[in-house]
Amino acid sequence: MSKQSKTFTRSDGSIGYVRSTPLRLRIKKYIPFYIMFLPVLIFALVFYYAPMGGIALAFTEYKGIKDPVFVGLDNFKRMFAQAGFWSAFKNTIFLSVVKLLLNTFMAVILSLLLNEVRNLRFKKITQTIVYLPHFMSWVVTASVFGMILAPSQTGLVNNLLTNLGIIERGQEIYFLGSQQWWTPTYFVVNIWKDTGWGTILYMATLTGIAPELYESASIDGAGRWQKMRYITLPALNNTIITVLILNLAKVMNLFESVFVMMNPAVTAQADVLQTYIYTQTFNSGALPNYGYTTAVGLVKSLVGCALVLICNYASKRVRGRGIV
Amino acid sequence: MKNKFTISDFIVYFVLILTALMIMIPLWKVLVDSLDLRTAYGMKLWPEEFGFDGYISVFTNPTLYQPLQVSIITTVLGTIIAMILSTLGAYVLIQWEMPGRNFFAGFLLFTMIFNGGMIPTFLVVKNIGLYNTLGAVILVNALNVYNLVLMRNFFESIPNSLFEAAEIDGASPMTIFIRIVLPLSKAALASIGLMFLVAYWNDYTNFKIYITNSDLYNFQMKLRSIILGSDLPTATGSATANTVQNAAIITAILPFVVIYPFAQKYFVTGINMGAVKE
Repeated sequence: MSKQSKTFTRSDGSIGYVRSTPLRLRIKKYIPFYIMFLPVLIFALVFYYAPMGGIALAFTEYKGIKDPVFVGLDNFKRMFAQAGFWSAFKNTIFLSVVKLLLNTFMAVILSLLLNEVRNLRFKKITQTIVYLPHFMSWVVTASVFGMILAPSQTGLVNNLLTNLGIIERGQEIYFLGSQQWWTPTYFVVNIWKDTGWGTILYMATLTGIAPELYESASIDGAGRWQKMRYITLPALNNTIITVLILNLAKVMNLFESVFVMMNPAVTAQADVLQTYIYTQTFNSGALPNYGYTTAVGLVKSLVGCALVLICNYASKRVRGRGIV
Repeated sequence: MKNKFTISDFIVYFVLILTALMIMIPLWKVLVDSLDLRTAYGMKLWPEEFGFDGYISVFTNPTLYQPLQVSIITTVLGTIIAMILSTLGAYVLIQWEMPGRNFFAGFLLFTMIFNGGMIPTFLVVKNIGLYNTLGAVILVNALNVYNLVLMRNFFESIPNSLFEAAEIDGASPMTIFIRIVLPLSKAALASIGLMFLVAYWNDYTNFKIYITNSDLYNFQMKLRSIILGSDLPTATGSATANTVQNAAIITAILPFVVIYPFAQKYFVTGINMGAVKE
């Protein structure tokens, strides 16, 4: 086949073939590839496209026993009239965005500090330690913090606070169960888990800075702080923006971290759209109305979709390539 | 650079050591309590009465042994299937002259922009008879388009001349895939494979949605109910309930801690492959 086609050179220097062969022959040549793609196609159809078809349920009442009954926009009217929905919507945005900003800020600081370390062994060990929590599941993370934040003297933190005289014995703080403390605790746990991992991208960028820049700055009399401020930090700008864009696209997906750390006492602070959908469907006690929760999911997906497209556009503008 | 250890050096090292301690102390505390046969209290950072009874309870208790098996089965099968899908898909997507290639790429990428959501996916899984089977948790996330695209980016870096030479020698596409593409992509296979391993081992959400039969719970599900206290296994020997809870947490982290030192560089490769701009 390739012998008869004309060739051209691609931008990367490799040789491509002009598509002069008839379509039928080209398809025939690629038959093995179509067969290889078949499993991928089937998985995409069953687990991604078939559920998209199920979105029609958002306009029905469906409890899984009788056939779905078309109810028009009733589910949406009900949803928008519900305080629980709006609170979940607000929490989704608030928790995700603040978490993203805090984690990014902490990761940048940590990268700048790591970048100042000249002892490579120390640097390597520190990096290994700070990456570690990223690989622990949210269940494990919630369990670990459940232990050390226990609202009694068995909890490390409350015991420490008592010994320091900050709180009295018997007045232990219920970090994960009090409305006042849940949100800050959630952010702290997220910082603990993902700050280290977040430094990887920044560290990769920092190793790419030419050492000459630092040298000439030293010759000009710049101190460590000035070098950090005028060379290192600006070099990170693009990476910071990239990280923010990539993660902003995922804002609506917040689920597991909240799910394992929330409890009924803090629903107003913690419930996000995904947990709202879950509890309305699987923990509602009564027969779930799949139509209603599908409608909530649809709103979530549409907002998520808009965010992805906005971020994709921003990404193309900022770094010349999209995120999808 | 000067080699003098200045005050600012001291501050940098001090803050970093403090950070590392903040990360390690919660884990250290759990480890200590898992080895302590006395009831734990807050600021005890060394076991008072050392013993392995907590772990013995975890490993001899059939109600914990079974979830461990489920975790292993779903992790191994899931990772294998997920890797087959992402390598095959990536290999097809680098066939730039294949008719329909762009359509297939768009078909996959669209799922990253829009999805049906939790409930429609749940209903599909239920309708095809996977509800309450391990098939659901293995298959539902086996096709990960993001990882497939990472793999494709990696495959793209294989020189075209290799494919052409093999083609001229009469190698079939499958032979090229197995003999050339896969052996040249070991780093990508390792790093994406590890991502799948961790995701399957840590999976909780899918079990929570698709599995109600407690015989099919994985270790994360079991750990969750142990911690919530609803399902505490009987402690053997002189272990307290608290010891067993802490031992269960450590057991869930264990496989990872064992492979982590060897695997760290592959994880780092993986994340950089995904986001660092060209």
